[in-house]
Amino acid sequence: MIFKSTHKYISILGVLLISLSSCKKLDDVDPTDTIDPTKAFRNVKDLDLGLLGAYAYLDYSLIGSNAIVSDEITVPDENTVSNTEAYRWLYNSGSGSVTSAFNDYYIAIDRLNRVLAAIPNVEAVGADLALKQRYQGELLALRAYSHLELLRAYASSYDNGALGVPYMKASIISYPARDRFEAVIANIKADLLEAKDLIPASFTDKTRITRTAVVAIQARTALYERNWAEAVSYATEVINAIPLASRTQFPQIWTDQSDAEVIWKLKRVGSDSRIGAFFFRETGGLVLYAPSFELINSFDQSNDIRYSSYISYSPDRGAGKSAYLVKKYIGGDATAPGRADVKLFRTAEMYLIRSEAEAELAAESASADLNALRSARIQGYASETFASKEALITAIYQERFKELAFEGHRFFDLRRRNLPVERLPEDAINAVGAVKLEPTQAQYAFPIPAREISVNRNMEQNPNY
Amino acid sequence: MSTNQITIMRKPLLRVPPGEYIVARQIIRTMKLTSLLLVLMCIQVVASTYAQNRITANFQEVSVKRLLKEVEKQSNYRFVYNNSILPDNKLVTVMVKNATLEETMKQTLKGTGLSYSVKEDGLIVIFKSGAEAQADIPVRGRVTDAQGNPLPGVSVRVQGLSIGTSTDIQGRYTLTVPDGATALEFAFIGFASQTVSLTGTSEINIALREDNRTLEEVTITGYTNYSRAQSANAASVVTSDKIGQVPMGSVDQILQGRVPGMTVIASSGQPGTSASVTIRGVNSISGSRAPLYVMDGIQIESSYFQTINPDDIASVTVLKDASAKALYGSRGSNGVIVITTKKGKSGKIQVDYKSQYGQSDLTKPGFTMMNTEQRLRFEEEVGLEIGRNIGPGWVYSPKNPSYATKSPDQQRRSDQILDSLRSINTDWRDLFFQQSQFMEQQLSASGGNENVRFYNSLNYYKQDGIAKRTGMERYNLRSNVDFSSGKFTGNVNLSLGYSSSSFTEGVESTSVGASMASVYYALPYEYPYAPDGTLIHPGNRTADILDQREGSQGLERLLNSSDKTDQFKTITGISLGYQIIPELKLTTRTGIDYRNSTDQVYINPDSYYGSRSNSNTVGGRGKFGEGSRRNFSIMSTSGLTYAKTLNSVHDFEASAFLEYVYENYRSFNYNGYGLDARLPETPAGITVSTAFLPGIGGGRTSAALLSYMGVGRYTYNEKYTITGSYRYDGSTRVAPKNRWHGFYSFGANWNAKAEDILKNLDLIPELRFRASYGSTASPFGGNFDYLPTYSVNTSYGGASAMRPAAAGNENFDWEYVNEFNTGFDIALFRQGRLRIAADYYNKITTNMFIDQPPSITSGFDVLSLSSGKMRNRGVEADIQGDIIKTKDFSWNLGLNFGYNKNEILRLTDDLNEIPDGDTRIWKVGYPLGTYYAPNWAGVNPENGDAQYYDKEGKITTVYDFDALAVTESGSLYPKLTGGFNTGVQYKSFTASALFSFVSGVKRWNNEDLYNENDRYMTSNQSIRMLEDRWKKPGDIATLQRIDIRRQFSSKDIQDASFLRLRNVTLGYSVPANVIERLKAIKGVKVFVQGQNLFTWTKWRGLDPENNNVYGRFQYPAAKTYTAGLNVNF
Repeated sequence: MIFKSTHKYISILGVLLISLSSCKKLDDVDPTDTIDPTKAFRNVKDLDLGLLGAYAYLDYSLIGSNAIVSDEITVPDENTVSNTEAYRWLYNSGSGSVTSAFNDYYIAIDRLNRVLAAIPNVEAVGADLALKQRYQGELLALRAYSHLELLRAYASSYDNGALGVPYMKASIISYPARDRFEAVIANIKADLLEAKDLIPASFTDKTRITRTAVVAIQARTALYERNWAEAVSYATEVINAIPLASRTQFPQIWTDQSDAEVIWKLKRVGSDSRIGAFFFRETGGLVLYAPSFELINSFDQSNDIRYSSYISYSPDRGAGKSAYLVKKYIGGDATAPGRADVKLFRTAEMYLIRSEAEAELAAESASADLNALRSARIQGYASETFASKEALITAIYQERFKELAFEGHRFFDLRRRNLPVERLPEDAINAVGAVKLEPTQAQYAFPIPAREISVNRNMEQNPNY
Repeated sequence: MSTNQITIMRKPLLRVPPGEYIVARQIIRTMKLTSLLLVLMCIQVVASTYAQNRITANFQEVSVKRLLKEVEKQSNYRFVYNNSILPDNKLVTVMVKNATLEETMKQTLKGTGLSYSVKEDGLIVIFKSGAEAQADIPVRGRVTDAQGNPLPGVSVRVQGLSIGTSTDIQGRYTLTVPDGATALEFAFIGFASQTVSLTGTSEINIALREDNRTLEEVTITGYTNYSRAQSANAASVVTSDKIGQVPMGSVDQILQGRVPGMTVIASSGQPGTSASVTIRGVNSISGSRAPLYVMDGIQIESSYFQTINPDDIASVTVLKDASAKALYGSRGSNGVIVITTKKGKSGKIQVDYKSQYGQSDLTKPGFTMMNTEQRLRFEEEVGLEIGRNIGPGWVYSPKNPSYATKSPDQQRRSDQILDSLRSINTDWRDLFFQQSQFMEQQLSASGGNENVRFYNSLNYYKQDGIAKRTGMERYNLRSNVDFSSGKFTGNVNLSLGYSSSSFTEGVESTSVGASMASVYYALPYEYPYAPDGTLIHPGNRTADILDQREGSQGLERLLNSSDKTDQFKTITGISLGYQIIPELKLTTRTGIDYRNSTDQVYINPDSYYGSRSNSNTVGGRGKFGEGSRRNFSIMSTSGLTYAKTLNSVHDFEASAFLEYVYENYRSFNYNGYGLDARLPETPAGITVSTAFLPGIGGGRTSAALLSYMGVGRYTYNEKYTITGSYRYDGSTRVAPKNRWHGFYSFGANWNAKAEDILKNLDLIPELRFRASYGSTASPFGGNFDYLPTYSVNTSYGGASAMRPAAAGNENFDWEYVNEFNTGFDIALFRQGRLRIAADYYNKITTNMFIDQPPSITSGFDVLSLSSGKMRNRGVEADIQGDIIKTKDFSWNLGLNFGYNKNEILRLTDDLNEIPDGDTRIWKVGYPLGTYYAPNWAGVNPENGDAQYYDKEGKITTVYDFDALAVTESGSLYPKLTGGFNTGVQYKSFTASALFSFVSGVKRWNNEDLYNENDRYMTSNQSIRMLEDRWKKPGDIATLQRIDIRRQFSSKDIQDASFLRLRNVTLGYSVPANVIERLKAIKGVKVFVQGQNLFTWTKWRGLDPENNNVYGRFQYPAAKTYTAGLNVNF
């Protein structure tokens, strides 16, 4: 490092200073890995990406919590790993097992509200315009569906005047209070009506919301609203569009080889969540939740196609292990056991809705739907007649218990008629005395998450928590 | 000027003892010829200037002293003389008008026997003419360092006088010493000053000992180098001798217990992992907490130290107060750690070789698991008490009611089974851990001349981990070159490093199969291998295996998976300086910090672990993943520094800088599945198909910071200093509307020692007071945190989907920290044998980032706000004492500590408390890290119920976290941290010890929750579950009845304070007279060290020192013993 003259040093320093001043300016540094709101929704394709983002957030969490707190399952000895507080009805606002769905559905709702807000700004003509309208319809229906699920889980009861959930119509940072039950129902119905006109009948992708799916949501909404006339009319519309599965098709529904009678299901591929893993843990081969003996005993095991489709019997699993397993979500892929599409609406539910609504309306045809469904499922079934409306409704309830087992209905069905959750003694062996949940207990409605209560002063907790 | 004056100049002029001079400050040296000529040129100039001073005097019979005073009044001349030489009784008469100095002095000194000489700045020295010549004694000699290398430039001075010289390139000096002088003083920066008595000998050769204390006399901030007497900074320095003492791979860990107010807590026992470092408490909740690291003026990444060689570091300066940190503006609020690497010294080339070998052992946890006998007894007890079957100890027990129903053959069979289980007693630590090896080799060469100096080193470091299949290996190369030529100076710092680390895959987790947890979950009567050596795991177990196979599953995973990271890192910088005029210097520095990390994960497809399909091993045929992370940053600082001293008392220094920092990060990774076992640990083994869909990820981001800054200092008469700085930062990390912001600081220092009253007081060699106030900011965690964003990283039914990723905040602004600091440095007794530095500070963070959970109806679970306020205040002190200090024996003792009190002053507009994770809470009025837990009220002796206190203090057995939780369990962040050290030297032997301590800290021990829980009883449990559990009425027990649910409560928040014997070193240097016989070798030192030898703690978990919020089967710390050798050539 020997230089000959000071001129050289000065020129080197000069070069360094010039190179410094030519450094990148601050304005040249831009984010490269994120999409800012100005770039998020440029065209119709982007709208679809956003809509799929909302679908992506839907999962089976309410199906799971429904099973645990109801009489659908029992916790076998081999399950030493799960937190069984929910099973024992010891949950409170801090129990994620019953509160996580609250967060999940509101996040999905916010996602779709952002897309809905972007729709007017996206220009589309021709085929694109039709697509844009369909997406808008799907978004509205999805918003209605998500709020209906929130309402079923978190409403203090299903009566007018009861505490419902906030109905979010826009993506906004706010601290909303709970809307009343009837206000939520009204909003759901309005969104569904609007959605129905936007989705063309020609659109039949069952992994998304079709026009028939919108009607199915309307039917279920009517059931919870106890609007029996609408329930009959919407259920009929769906039944006419999509018939029941045959006895051959029925088991194939659950291995995703057939989508007969499926109206809407959540598609599951690749490393997506596995609903089967909720019941059976592959690691260690543990049955976490086994079908309840109450459920097992309710079936005509040799003739009812539902029994062999929903429940498997493995007496060789060893001592101390459950011999009965939930088979419904075993899935169709041996490399990904338990990964099955999540069925949200099936025609069978429509038969049961119509049957119940007609029973309430004292229609003579009321038992026809129940018998039709049983005939479709049970080999050699002979139609039954019912002595009274009450007897019929009890039978419909029992049929719902069997037909819709592990599909996220049982607990809510009991709540619709203020019935307690009751377990057989053999289903409550590990429940430490949790045999009966009375409607007067706090746990009869799921609690609003503690964090929501702590940050949102306007949010009211369900009674008795 | 005449030749006459040259003659005078060459003579030693000031040989009267200091303190008797009327003018305080003047130094005259005998200089080499070249220097002398320069000085003479200066004198010429001065003389012509002062020749303008004409003197008029008309005095009859006055004293010489009086006359001189009069001349001083009339002119700019000042006189220097020894009072004793002025004749008191001799009166002189002077009558001059507009006379020159020469004429005046001729009259004044007539007949007094005095002469005079004119010095620069109008200084006139008066001395006895002709008296000194015959008394001068010439002394010569050579100065070397301890290894015998010549030391050029050493100041050699006659004690008490200002006669002096400096050594030449061979370390030689010659000095003419006046009669009556008693000793010579030798001083050189970086070495301990030494005084040698003059005993009439004409040759004095000495070896100077390196002294790092002198390095501490200058505070290096990266922009300024002020002496401690002129600096308002609160800064601590750790020097290379202390850094070299601790054999660890990461320099941040080495600093533990050394710096008052700096908390260093390891994150893992894995070799080479970085620690969590906080200075003066945590400033931020959601922003960055890490200090800024600067190496040789270049900003470097925090948390990536495993590829930096600690042996290359000369000193680490920790800047703690605003007057130092404000120089770093928006990056400075968490403190700045300025690392300076070793530089070459001019002189003969010096070669050092260091070799070190050692081994590490596992430290023991605070809990004990059951052995086989205890476990079987426990299983039997649980069966008897609640009828629950948790293992063969109950199934085959004679006390089991079913035993009586068995046939005699079956009963014998049951007894046999239990006997055979009793014959197995596996200590799973032996299977997962090992005694590991450590080795380090270092070779360095340094040297140079006046113009070029260099330091080069090579280092190899290898440390195996105490967990099997873990470890680190490192290669380092460094070259530092300093050069100067006239007005031009510069240096080049270059380092290259490569490190390779092996981790255990999925190490720190509570799940079954995670290796660190398996050690404790596994049952003692489980043994992993069948007689033929086959590992029996859940995948191939047979019905006669009666244990849970949890240990074997973990072992199988450990043996069939690998997790490795290779890191290549270089830090390179060039700085150049040009002295434009004596007062003005132009400097520029450019540096690059570059790191490339390659991460690799492999899971053997043929293993049980790799054959099960889950998200980690899609398709159940193993996994091979590789990722590359590249971090590149370039920074450039250029500026001008103006320094001038006016009239010897007004000392100014001012600088202006322009700085630019650009950071660029990019990463890429893939995970492939469907491996072919014949092609392990290579992407070639990957199958790509729909069943084995690979995953791909990565990203890139960049940031830039542009700054303008000014720094100034003014010192009056070496006593009073004020400093100030202003920095204007523009950063791309801040929302555009807040992009530019200014940061300032003010400081003051009073060097009380320079006051007349203390100047001669030997009892207090040093006394300084300082105070400062200023503003800084802390950097953002990410580059574009203010932006609301969407990302296409989700999917539905296999189709890509888009989701909002972050809410963003267009008002996001820096977190500002305003800090006040005041302190003092004092040294007491001769040679400053007791030294104390103490500081008090008060820091307020405003505009603090708070991740507030909004109503979930907004679609996000966090909203990032700039709304919080938090205070940290505390005291810290460093006390060092030389208790014994003789030639052969010395003993020193030191203590440093920092006490910090943290309090959250404000959260958001809406909330005064926000849950922080599931066990802590942010709450106004409480410190950050406050735990939130129900208070444990013990076990009811009557019925064994678990009892908790409710918020009113009443005992309840109903556990409801939200209803019971209170903030009474303390905080995660320590209040008091520090260390103490001691060192003994006796002749060639040295011994030293360092203790570090952390106090006032609570951690969540999650291990107890797994080891003492009825839910996990089928896995092994702590011995307390057997011996200290409630069994019958009247039992006073720690643990509740076996069928009562174990819940999280205040008993899980445990005191993690500890005192640790961090290091002990014993050394022996082979004496010089032995070494001299060995040609080519100048010094040999052997040493042995012990690391983490003892830990005193109440903590029940694995290791109290861990920065994770919970103790959860982390990689434990190791005890390390090493022995080594240093050879100097």
